[in-house]
Amino acid sequence: MPRSHFCRSADHALNRRAFLGGLAAAGATLAADMTQLNALASPGVNAALKKTQKRVILLWLAGGASQLETWDPKPGAVTGGPFRSIQTDVPGLRISELMPEMAKRMKTTCVIRGLDTKNGDHGSGAKVMMRGRRDEAGLRYPDLGAVLAREMGRPDSTVPDYVTFYTQTEGRSFAPGDAGFLGARYAPMELTTGSSPEYIKKLADMTDADHEERAALRDLVGKGFAAGRSSETLSSQSEAYGRVRGLMASAKLFDASGEPAAVKARYGPTQFGEQCLIARRLVEAGVPFVRVARAWWDSHGQNFETHQEMVPELDRVMSALIDDLGERGLSNDVMVVTLAEFGRTPSINASLGRDHFASAWSCTLTGCGVKGGSVYGKTDEKGQKVVAENVDAGSLFATIYSALGINPEKNYHVGSRPIPLVNPGVEAVKAVLK
Amino acid sequence: MRLRLLLAAAVSTAVAPASPAADAPAPRPSVPALIDKYLDAAIADAGVTPAGQADDATLVRRLTLDLVGRIPTAAEADAYVASTDPDKRAKLVDRLLASPGFARHQAALFEAMFYPEGNGRGSGAFREYLTAAVRENKPWDKVFREVLTPDETDPKLKGAAEFVRSRVSDADKLTNDVSVTFFGVNVSCAQCHDHPLVADWTQDHFYGMKAFLARTFDNGGFLGERGYGTVKYKPTKGPERTARMMFLTGTVVEDPSGKEPTADDMKKEKAELDKAKAAKTPPPAPAFRARAKLVEVALADANADFFARNLVNRMWHRYFGAGLVGPLDQMHSENPPAHPDLLAALARDVRANGYDLQRLTRGLVMSQAYARSSRYESEGRPDGKLFAVARLKPMTPTQLAASLKIAATDPAALDGKPDEVEKKLEQLEASARGFAALIASPSDHFQIGVGEALLFSNGDRLTKEFLTDGPGTALGRVKTMADPKEAVGFLVKTAFGRPATAEETDALAAYVGKRKGREADAYRQVLWALVTGPEFRFSY
Repeated sequence: MPRSHFCRSADHALNRRAFLGGLAAAGATLAADMTQLNALASPGVNAALKKTQKRVILLWLAGGASQLETWDPKPGAVTGGPFRSIQTDVPGLRISELMPEMAKRMKTTCVIRGLDTKNGDHGSGAKVMMRGRRDEAGLRYPDLGAVLAREMGRPDSTVPDYVTFYTQTEGRSFAPGDAGFLGARYAPMELTTGSSPEYIKKLADMTDADHEERAALRDLVGKGFAAGRSSETLSSQSEAYGRVRGLMASAKLFDASGEPAAVKARYGPTQFGEQCLIARRLVEAGVPFVRVARAWWDSHGQNFETHQEMVPELDRVMSALIDDLGERGLSNDVMVVTLAEFGRTPSINASLGRDHFASAWSCTLTGCGVKGGSVYGKTDEKGQKVVAENVDAGSLFATIYSALGINPEKNYHVGSRPIPLVNPGVEAVKAVLK
Repeated sequence: MRLRLLLAAAVSTAVAPASPAADAPAPRPSVPALIDKYLDAAIADAGVTPAGQADDATLVRRLTLDLVGRIPTAAEADAYVASTDPDKRAKLVDRLLASPGFARHQAALFEAMFYPEGNGRGSGAFREYLTAAVRENKPWDKVFREVLTPDETDPKLKGAAEFVRSRVSDADKLTNDVSVTFFGVNVSCAQCHDHPLVADWTQDHFYGMKAFLARTFDNGGFLGERGYGTVKYKPTKGPERTARMMFLTGTVVEDPSGKEPTADDMKKEKAELDKAKAAKTPPPAPAFRARAKLVEVALADANADFFARNLVNRMWHRYFGAGLVGPLDQMHSENPPAHPDLLAALARDVRANGYDLQRLTRGLVMSQAYARSSRYESEGRPDGKLFAVARLKPMTPTQLAASLKIAATDPAALDGKPDEVEKKLEQLEASARGFAALIASPSDHFQIGVGEALLFSNGDRLTKEFLTDGPGTALGRVKTMADPKEAVGFLVKTAFGRPATAEETDALAAYVGKRKGREADAYRQVLWALVTGPEFRFSY
């Protein structure tokens, strides 16, 4: 399909980098695309969306998990470390022995081993891996969660559009959820102190009836003001208050205590496990995007002890989540992604650690339109570089959007400037898409 | 090229001296008259009827919010509404412009302009500098000069250096932020290739601007500048190029002394820098100061139109809720202003009057266009670009939090000697700052998120910090009132600055009536319902 570059510059065919600085606003002929927000409000559209709505659970391995101790082991190489690799249920595919449960389930999952994302700094690496590109000097891009909130969320939704759990403090400030130019409407509900969101429950000294009638009183008084007045911000305020009661009713989604003991046991006793179970409850109720962050994988020292402790937890929780979603018939509607700001160096430093490494690392995609059992990307014997099927942050995001049925070339508008979901010229990895 | 011609034409008319043939120069029309002349003509051309003028209660609220960043006290609102002085609006504007609240509020708005990211906060020293600048009504060209070339030996001006210093590690960002803030031009698009649709912006423009700024560095907390150093870039076609210092209009500045230093020079330079660092003084300035050259060339007669138009457009946006050119950073020939002649006339006026912010501000808010109602109930709502109906402006976090404090205070406590009231208002503002930090700063196309609605609905800070009922509060005062109708009328008045309608009084009194024996809760809920509503959230 021929690409339509907004700027129609031939430069992009030659030089993708040239585009990263982006374009400024176009002429006034292109109207701002704010109508789409309202289009979602019509009930017909809602019903259609509901049927096809895809959702994402992102397991954010904050600090940078090692690809060598997870998805791309190099046993025997000088860089390989002490752990062996094991055969999985996909012929020819071996992963770290620290992941025996996932080894039985790789048929569900696609491993991308060719990530080359160039950025080995926690803060800017996390920004790139949550947005699929670097911010421009004058433009803050929305992250994956905000885009899905915008694409899949509904104005009248009674559940949040974007939830992020990040309970540990390490690295949290490096990777905040951020709606960028999409604005506060798509900002995440951030849970940093526990598993239940702030302000979702009414204050104890107020009765539920008062809470409800007080809201109605507010609406009544506001109605007179809104007559004969029109503004985008005014509508957003009324929409936001209109969602409060519904969201409060979703508080129970954040409480997994009523889940059957067998289900809870499967996810294990850790907070990460509990939050992934809550994430499953949330997506089941229609939340388009949930991120569960697990910190802190930044193993500059004692990499192997760190991974020996943390990888089995990931293995258990991830396989529980995949099984659970499968049993509930959600495999085709919910994508599970494991991702971080970067991976870790193949070379082992003097403290038996691995350092930041963004040139040849791995992530996984499970469910929705992704081919289970597929592997994309090949690193060299020591894991130092990608030798085939290189994937950058942009094409990873294009792949995720495509698998979810979202056209990566779709435009948002900032003022009159059209901004595609991924930078022009960036392609999805078709080989891993069904 | 086209832009340069356009600008050349604009500038030649702008600075042409009065024709010697003319007898006596006609008196310049005042700024409000200019605005209304152009807008009324455009509205008539469009064949629409503008909204009528807002009533006094609305206007005093709008002016107070816009100029000093809070709702008026009940005493202020009452006095304005009751006054029969035909000059009452001009007098109110003058009083507000002279009040300390004007300096505080405008400084906060300028700070958000200088720091569009991070919820609009810079450093405390920068805020202090801006507050003093607004208080003294420092001409805007002087602010520009002090921000770009601060004299860091003057403790009063040290804060001005923060704008450049906080960006000194990223010359691309500094380049774009200087262009956006002072000229309304986003050149980041031309960083990687010539702008594809806007012929005005080429890579030469981006790197031309960068060449002025790339010699700046940090030397132990002071700004240093080298007398040499070039910016090289790779154009999309052809070999690498060295950027010449070039302003947005194409005016090039040559650096006659700019040659690469010898090893000896470098050694000497390093010694000087180390010495300055150790002495905690600004490093010596080079003979050729590139940033100073940028200021000089940007303010030169032939080029100053960018600077003047950007100032006018930003101030217009501040008071009218949308720019004459929007977005604010997209001033170029492909994105013409809604009213080109008006923008040109105001830019001429602001140049001719020494970039006087107060004069411009007074002119904008004294126009009839500014004072239109935001309500338009008949069919055929006019296009927003006509400014025929006032826009709703969402409050900034500080406006909202300070206004909440005022609405929650017993109006009697804010009625008294002007100095004492002013002091009290300042305290209220300060005490609202923590809550303000929880609220998002508005931008164009601002959307209020559900986070705000949840915070107001279920957070305890609103209840604990604002909706209290002790002595001196509005809710405390209500306790002394036996008649619920009187009480709810009082609350509507303190929150909205207008009398309650009969329907409101009935509905609110009925709400209270249903809560016999727990009236205190009921009134708290009534005040909550008022201050969380749109009539409170917006300047309208």
